Amino acid sequence: MLLELNHIKKRYGGVAALSDGCLTVEAGEVHLLLGENGAGKSTLMKIIAGIVERDRGQMLWQGREVQLKTPAEAAAIGISMVHQESLLAPHLTVAENLYLGREERLPFGWVRRQRMMEAANRLISEHQFPLRAEWRVEKLTPAGKQLVEICRAILHGSSLVIFDEPTSSLSGSEAAEVFRIVKTLRERKVGVIYITHRLDELQSVGDRVTIFRDGRTVHTSPLAELTTSRIIQHMVGRELSAIYHRDSLPPGDELLRVEHLNQEGQLRDISFSLRAGEIVGIAGLIGAGRTELCRALFGVDPIDSGRVWVRGREMRIHSPQEAVAAGIALVTEDRQVTGLALRLPIAHNITLANVRGISRFGFLDRTAQNTAAADFIGRLHIRAGSTRQLCGRLSGGNQQKVVIAKWLFRQAQVFLFDEPTRGIDVGAKAEVFNVMDELAKSGAAILMVSSEMQELLQVADRILVMRDGKITGELPGRTTQEAIMRYAALETAAEEIR
Amino acid sequence: MSQPAVAQVPAVPAKSRRDRIVLQRLLPFVSLIILFIALAIASPHFLTATNLSSVVRQTAVINIMALGMTMIIITGGIDLSVGAILAISGLIGAMAMEKGFSIPVGVLVGVVTGLACGLANGLMITRLRIQPFIVTLGTLGIFRGTALIISNGLPVHRIPPQFSYLGEGNLLGVPFVLWILVACAVFTHIVLENTRLGRYTFAIGSNREAAIYAGIPVLFHTTAVYAIGGMLTGLAGMIEASRLMTGQPTAGQGYELQAIAAVVIGGGSLQGGEGSVIGTLIGAFIMGLLSNGSDLLGVSPYLQQAIIGAVIILAVTLDEVRKRRTAAA
Repeated sequence: MLLELNHIKKRYGGVAALSDGCLTVEAGEVHLLLGENGAGKSTLMKIIAGIVERDRGQMLWQGREVQLKTPAEAAAIGISMVHQESLLAPHLTVAENLYLGREERLPFGWVRRQRMMEAANRLISEHQFPLRAEWRVEKLTPAGKQLVEICRAILHGSSLVIFDEPTSSLSGSEAAEVFRIVKTLRERKVGVIYITHRLDELQSVGDRVTIFRDGRTVHTSPLAELTTSRIIQHMVGRELSAIYHRDSLPPGDELLRVEHLNQEGQLRDISFSLRAGEIVGIAGLIGAGRTELCRALFGVDPIDSGRVWVRGREMRIHSPQEAVAAGIALVTEDRQVTGLALRLPIAHNITLANVRGISRFGFLDRTAQNTAAADFIGRLHIRAGSTRQLCGRLSGGNQQKVVIAKWLFRQAQVFLFDEPTRGIDVGAKAEVFNVMDELAKSGAAILMVSSEMQELLQVADRILVMRDGKITGELPGRTTQEAIMRYAALETAAEEIR
Repeated sequence: MSQPAVAQVPAVPAKSRRDRIVLQRLLPFVSLIILFIALAIASPHFLTATNLSSVVRQTAVINIMALGMTMIIITGGIDLSVGAILAISGLIGAMAMEKGFSIPVGVLVGVVTGLACGLANGLMITRLRIQPFIVTLGTLGIFRGTALIISNGLPVHRIPPQFSYLGEGNLLGVPFVLWILVACAVFTHIVLENTRLGRYTFAIGSNREAAIYAGIPVLFHTTAVYAIGGMLTGLAGMIEASRLMTGQPTAGQGYELQAIAAVVIGGGSLQGGEGSVIGTLIGAFIMGLLSNGSDLLGVSPYLQQAIIGAVIILAVTLDEVRKRRTAAA
């Protein structure tokens, strides 16, 4: 047994993050770790990787009890972690990042740059990674950064590698690359712990599964013995009332019309329209221009040509301020960066886009603010202690609901959702879809970008597929993943990730 | 987590925890009281009307500047030029009075000068998109240089004698500057806590990107905050001029750092999004009492500087510990 964890407990202040974590990993197995956000997976991984210390319980590494105090100690015995959010130094080269903290040293702190580059390039070509040692990390795509982290783990001869949601920011072909690497690691008898939210990718990688719920291990078994619906049951602890499916509504007035939108190097001749009550999906691989389209419509990035009508009126939108005034809302893919003020209370965040709605002559009406916030907390089932709780302390799903509440309170009519379910758990996803459905019913028009085709197939009335900044196809809501892929991936080569 | 249909929304967090947080928040205030009592015991001269009003007068100038600085720091910015703004405002206000304008007009000229300088800072920061630190480092030199040029480096002396009332007079038994300080503090507090501008100030400092994406006119409000900061500094400049009874082009050197220190001791975060008027007032008074106490107890002015420096680090450390603990709870 490579790693054995028994009854691990960990509390942060008064909150139990982990009450009974158990996990065993053997050399040469890929062990999947599943669970909703806040189920305790990440805490357990942090304990294994030496980022936090456990309060109680036993951790055996190759049969011997260990107590890791720092990530460096974990690395020294052969445990490394590929983080979800890249922890690389962006201004340094790939090679410098690979050897960060472990440079071959000469006296007086000199570094053997040339030899480091050569060694890094040897490693890269040996694994056929689409990288070069001398590239600067900031120029890499998220997938490229992930590869650098993986290289680092391999380079340091780790015997256990932890992947924390490695594919959440990757496109299909990039994810396939990660799976290939995971398989290589398995062949080399490395133990792999693989955390994921994407149930559709399990079959591609896993040997065994451990499922977490509410801070404890609730299930461990070989993957082959489980069906997807059993897995979901274990994760949520209840029967999901069937997988969500939306019925289309008769479309109403045209709320958004876009004609021949162009943006140098990003968007080419985009035309489409959105009607009240409609949810239109945008599919495509990473880099197809989907996020760029949202940003252009919302006035974040300028467009070069093209015309936009909102609610029948032609508009030139130059800034988010103008977009918001026109009734457009953007739920961004990185809610912590562009969606929420994490250090401010929920009530402030919900009213952020419509402070005028809670003020008179420039003065705030706190009663109105708190009533509005409490109302949305109830309506969207935001699980929070009070309207004054800081947004940074909510789970991903609840944060997303606060972002949505912000736009509901602004009474926006055209909603752009960019990857609305990224990093949120199964239960919260269903709730987000419910909110979108209600929005559509109340007469809003919704554009939804998603990399998870299954989601689009469930929710969208129509699906637009993008590739290389163009709309390459329009499909009805009840289509197939194969049809989407045909439009999205045709001619797309995976070699270039720079 | 298991029942999404039931939203549990208690009105307030558990009482005991809230009490503890409130107690920790009060730490700077408690330190101020302890410092006050300790000085009262240690020196017989401390608790005299003369001494206390001199503390108030000494602190008021920094305090009023620090109020503006509080708003600026909450946006995540900084203003290094306030010392220079203080000098140029006091100088131009004094020159106006020398030219024969009345005292109220002179004071108004000083305040408007400060406002204009703050506005210039704000416009450069938002339109040229340069970091506040750099812009105000530049304008520190520009404002100070301008003050020296227009005055030829010489102080302006010919000021009506009644002007001294602003900085040295008493109203209803307390220093007149205390009334001004209270008025400014109430003004800033209301702006920060009860107006749209205040809400945007916190939003911009807490997450500028999110504020932009929420459609908030970030550039306008950022500029407004620097302008208000400049205005308050202009007023402080007139008080300083009144206390010195001269318009000094070299006045206020190093005041910017004291103002920043007051904000930081009072719980303001240089990363933005945090800070309060009460905190800043306490911060400024802690520094004022430390320097007054050191004078009374005969501590060398060299050591004084070191003590204040140490207090800044200590205060921020304690505040960080508190924040980390509440974040974990």
